[in-house]
Amino acid sequence: MLRDAVPALSADPLDVVGLLAGAHHPGAGAVVLFSGEVRDSNRGQAVLGLEYEAYAPMAERLIAEILEEARAKWQLHIAIAQHRVGKVAAGDSAVVVITASAHRSEAYAANRHIIDRIKHEAPIWKCEHYTDGTKEWGNNCNCHSVTGDIHKHIYESEQRP
Amino acid sequence: MKIHVYAGLKDYFQPEFELREEIANTDELRAVLVKINGNAGPLLSTCRFAVEEGFIDKNFKLNSHDTVVIIPPSSGG
Repeated sequence: MLRDAVPALSADPLDVVGLLAGAHHPGAGAVVLFSGEVRDSNRGQAVLGLEYEAYAPMAERLIAEILEEARAKWQLHIAIAQHRVGKVAAGDSAVVVITASAHRSEAYAANRHIIDRIKHEAPIWKCEHYTDGTKEWGNNCNCHSVTGDIHKHIYESEQRP
Repeated sequence: MKIHVYAGLKDYFQPEFELREEIANTDELRAVLVKINGNAGPLLSTCRFAVEEGFIDKNFKLNSHDTVVIIPPSSGG
């Protein structure tokens, strides 16, 4: 099955296997899937799960723009991204990005670029719920402390190793 | 002017509220909000602002009919 568009946000658990099953293209020799998953600890604290919130209209539009730009830049056959909103338990997928291209280098590069931009730009936030009952909004993009501009970001995928 | 806030800003403000003051731009809006709750200052200094689902900068002229969405730094993924 060929699928090139899925809702950018989902309040239901992400169907990682189903998304991959729909992400094959006869012109694509490479399909890359990234699943960002909830860790059970962060900075030494045991994490019960995360709760994601989004400003949905802008998040959906921004993710669509990011995918479209990546599709054009890397000549992707398929570019899909879906992010969870609501509560996500440790071990579950919070975001999935799938890219398919003729060769693997483009699919890998595009995939990294897409997840970088979603993490830095899309109005989506996580609140960590710890096992001790406390919670904290956190892991915010902090690029402005380097760039001096809250609209300018530093993408890991563009940094030299 | 209607204000919508998200994520960590909800620790300082109601998710939606209204301001009656004349506010011309995002710098003035930030100052008004800091007066309401000074503890929000550090987070507000890192926030982006949006009107009609588009980011705006400090030169954008706000008017009293706008709904302004205040967007803390992203932390998705």
